[in-house]
Amino acid sequence: MAEQSIAGAGRVMAADGDRSARARLVILLLCLALVLCVFLSLTSGASDASAVRVIRDWFTGAMPADAALAARDQLIVYDIRMPRVLLGVLIGAALAACGAVMQGLFRNPLADPGLIGVSAGSSLGAVAIIVLGTTWLAPVTLALGTLALPLAAFFGGLAVTLLLYAIATRQGRTSVATMLLAGIAISALAMALTGILIFMADDRQLRDLTFWQLGSLAGATWPKIGTVGPVIVLALSAMPFLSRGLNALALGEATAGHLGIPVQRLKYTAIVAVSAAVGASVAVSGGIGFIGIVVPHVLRLAIGPDNRYLLPASALLGASLLLLADAVARTIVAPAELPIGIVTAVAGAPFFLWILLRKRGVIDL
Amino acid sequence: MIEAHGISVAISGKRIVSHVDFAARPGEVSAIVGPNGSGKTTLLKALTGELAYTGTVTLNGRDLSAMKPVEAATLRAVLPQATTLSFPFTVHEIVRLGLIGGRSGVLPGEDARLPERALARVDLDGFAGRFYQELSGGEQQRVQLARVLCQVWAPVLEGRPRYLFLDEPVSSLDVKHQLIIMNIARDFARRGGGVVAILHDLNLTAMYADRIFVLSRGQLAAAGSPTDVLTDELIEKVFDCRLKVGALPAANMPFVLPQSVA
Repeated sequence: MAEQSIAGAGRVMAADGDRSARARLVILLLCLALVLCVFLSLTSGASDASAVRVIRDWFTGAMPADAALAARDQLIVYDIRMPRVLLGVLIGAALAACGAVMQGLFRNPLADPGLIGVSAGSSLGAVAIIVLGTTWLAPVTLALGTLALPLAAFFGGLAVTLLLYAIATRQGRTSVATMLLAGIAISALAMALTGILIFMADDRQLRDLTFWQLGSLAGATWPKIGTVGPVIVLALSAMPFLSRGLNALALGEATAGHLGIPVQRLKYTAIVAVSAAVGASVAVSGGIGFIGIVVPHVLRLAIGPDNRYLLPASALLGASLLLLADAVARTIVAPAELPIGIVTAVAGAPFFLWILLRKRGVIDL
Repeated sequence: MIEAHGISVAISGKRIVSHVDFAARPGEVSAIVGPNGSGKTTLLKALTGELAYTGTVTLNGRDLSAMKPVEAATLRAVLPQATTLSFPFTVHEIVRLGLIGGRSGVLPGEDARLPERALARVDLDGFAGRFYQELSGGEQQRVQLARVLCQVWAPVLEGRPRYLFLDEPVSSLDVKHQLIIMNIARDFARRGGGVVAILHDLNLTAMYADRIFVLSRGQLAAAGSPTDVLTDELIEKVFDCRLKVGALPAANMPFVLPQSVA
């Protein structure tokens, strides 16, 4: 009875070792940061178009004084910057959240869709369309038009994931170690095949390839968002349902099962969601590295590894960071622009090394 | 009641456990003993559904293989031999994972405070904020036990007994904590639950077990109460050691050990 009265007294003080409150605060701050980054991205760029004026005009319904200028600004804001910002948010969120899910699934803080070959498979699909689109694969590109590239990347990623799953699963159980190692092998194979295609490419195709492989949000258009947006949104919205199971999985597959988690279904859902989101991202923006590893890693240091908070926080921070990286890519050599993959790698790789050195001994990799 | 009939388990074509019959009653501590490699852990993994087996296992009369993970998690909790983590969880966060799938059986509002109470039970008061990876092996084992206790906090839920499966729960503990943990197990059984534990220490086994199952080369060598099972002949046959099984004299009877000669 004494215990009941203590509980009944409604002690609100958080238990020692419970980082839920801090995690919720961080998520709130990340929401604000994302809003800020979106605003920054909409208002900055090579042109002097005023996003603020366009949005204000749109809200108030006011007729602009200089119609030609207003039309140009509208074009820049609506058709160039907005889809680009939206794509940045979608892809940043997808890459970071997919990284966090993969790391939970493989119980390894270094696991990343890039690591197990999903990105390599997507790249192979996309490169095949770029190089062979006018010759061997002409019927495909003719039938699908601009959708050919995203779909090829998506199916490339999915094919790798399904192949991995088939290799690593025996008697209904997926061996994470086998999957990780097979992923490295398949990754190498996909990159070799991509290399052969690059060898066959002509000069113009090579330029396309280089830019696409380094990663860029420059190709953002509303139709592209219409293609990949729903895929990414669907995959991301599946992730909250995975968080409890991924937490249990940290104790090992057997223990997660004993805790009442349907482990096989959890793994299957996670793999499909990740390959869909990564395939879609790679298709439109090429390979953008380090977001999937650095973002969850930093957040784990701040709020702990509880996936109920880690997954949404990763999506928010990933989106913000990619927008910032894109803003840098667009402005640093304006009016030209850098591939965003270079920006994320230049900023992400040293940062990641710094974390490793600082936390050496605390985190057992 | 946990009942198993004709359990056989083969791993990579090699038969580890063959045709073992097993039964653990609520209200009792059932111990599984046997030499290294005799199939104790494999049998436990079959009984918890972790490994594929032939034969039948029933929990409270229901076929284990037909249960959903969450149904089985409501009826029993499992403590593995060792658990390693790759992410920096705090002790509190680990113990709280015990509340994920099953039902602790306490009043709904009390679940939040259960991790603290469970940590106190295993003598880890004040450890909630520590990082799991920074603890010693014995402390980690007790943290995992606290997590397991959260999952089936009430030994009886809605009139049905629940079970604890413990794989060498005291293997890395000092003698004080060995006794604390074994008392938790016995207390769980006294309050109507069932305990199945793999043990190595035959003295602890004799002290705490109501029934002992002896495994030898994957087969059941003997089963019964400690006085029935722990005999000179069995110890020699199963453990290949010629040891004398002793018995304490009746209470209040003075006795003198010759080893105490000065």
